[in-house]
Amino acid sequence: MACLPDDKILSYLDGEIKSIEQSLIRDHLLLCANCRRKAEGYAEMNKILAQPAFSQPPAWLVPRIMKRLYPEIPRYTSIAALIAAGFVFFVSWIYIYFDFSSNSLIQALRLTADRTSNWLVDAIKGISAVYSSVQAVFKACNAFLGVLLTTRPGAGALIIAFLLAFSGLLLWAMIRLLLRKPREEKQ
Amino acid sequence: MILDEDQALIRKTLQGDKKAFEELMRKYEKRIFSFVIRMVRNEEVAIDLTQDFFIKVFNVLDKYNFEYKFSTWAYRICYNLVIDHIRKSQALVSSLDDDSVSSREMLSSENVVSHDGFKNLSREETSAYIWKLVENIAPKYRELILLRYIQELKYEEIAEITALPVGTIKNRIFKAKEILKREMEKDGLPA
Repeated sequence: MACLPDDKILSYLDGEIKSIEQSLIRDHLLLCANCRRKAEGYAEMNKILAQPAFSQPPAWLVPRIMKRLYPEIPRYTSIAALIAAGFVFFVSWIYIYFDFSSNSLIQALRLTADRTSNWLVDAIKGISAVYSSVQAVFKACNAFLGVLLTTRPGAGALIIAFLLAFSGLLLWAMIRLLLRKPREEKQ
Repeated sequence: MILDEDQALIRKTLQGDKKAFEELMRKYEKRIFSFVIRMVRNEEVAIDLTQDFFIKVFNVLDKYNFEYKFSTWAYRICYNLVIDHIRKSQALVSSLDDDSVSSREMLSSENVVSHDGFKNLSREETSAYIWKLVENIAPKYRELILLRYIQELKYEEIAEITALPVGTIKNRIFKAKEILKREMEKDGLPA
C-alpha cells in the first residue's frame, strides 16, 4: 500500500478534499501508521499555527499616530504670548530705527509723580531708571547705526535685511516652540 | 445599507469622530504589527511601517468602498507597504529555503532546548519554536502563512490581497508546512 503524498494529507486536514476521496484517505490513515504519524504531525502544526502568538506593539504607538493625524491646536494663551512678544520686538525695532529720543513718556510720568504719594514716586522713579537705562542702550545702538549709515551708505539696506531676517527667525523659533509635540514616551 | 462594526467606525471617522479611528486602530494594531514584524524581522522598522500603514489608511479612507470588507482592503494596503519595503531594503536575506539558518541555534539562544532535545518542550515552547521557524522561511511562503494564520484570512481573500491565484496560494502554504516539518524533524521535534 503506497503512502499518501504530503499535499494530499494537508488538503485532507484542511477540509479541501471532496467527500468520497475524504473517506478513502480516512481509511488509508487508519491502516497506514506512517501516514497517520505524518497527519498527526501536520494536525498539531495546524493547531499551533491557528493559535498564533501575537506581537504586542508598543503602548505609545496608537497615541503617537493619533497626534500625527489630529495635531493639537496651540492654546489661545500661547497665541497671545506669541503676538505680545512679536509686538514688543516690533516696537523696539521701530524705536531704534526712528530714534524716539524726545523722552515725552518719561516727562509725562514725572509730572504725574509730583502729584502723587511718595511710594508711587519711588516706584515711578524705579521704572524711570530702568527705562532710562534701556533707552541709553537704544541710544547707543542708534548712535552706532548713525555712524554706520553715514560712513557706509549701503549699510541701511543691510541692517533692514538683517532685522527682518532676525525677527523672522525669532518668530519661526517661537512658532516651532509652541507647536512642538510633547516628548513621546518610550518603553 | 447595513454596515458592519468596522464600516460603522469608518463612517464615524469620516464624519470627524477621532475616537472612532482610534478604536479601529486598537482593533487592528496587534494583527497588523504581528504581520509586519514577522515579515521585516526588525522591531523599529515594524513600528514605522505600522504607523505608516495607519496614516495611509486614514488618508485614503474616503476612497474606501463600503461594498467590500474593510479588513481585506486594509490588509492589501498593509501587504503592499511591507512588500515595497522588503523590495526597497532588499531584506530578502537568509531563509530556511537556503538551509542557512539553524533553528536549533535559534532555540539554543533562547535556552529552549534542554539536554533531552525537544522531549520536554511545553506546548507554549513548541508554539514559540514553530513561529520562530515561520519567521525564517522565505518571504513568499512566510507572507501567506501570516495572512492565513495571523490575519485569519480565507484563501480567496489572500488571493485578492496578493493578486496570486488560489491554487498557487494553497501550493505555497503546503510547501511552507513541508519546510516547517522538515526543519522540525531536523531539530528532532516529532512532526
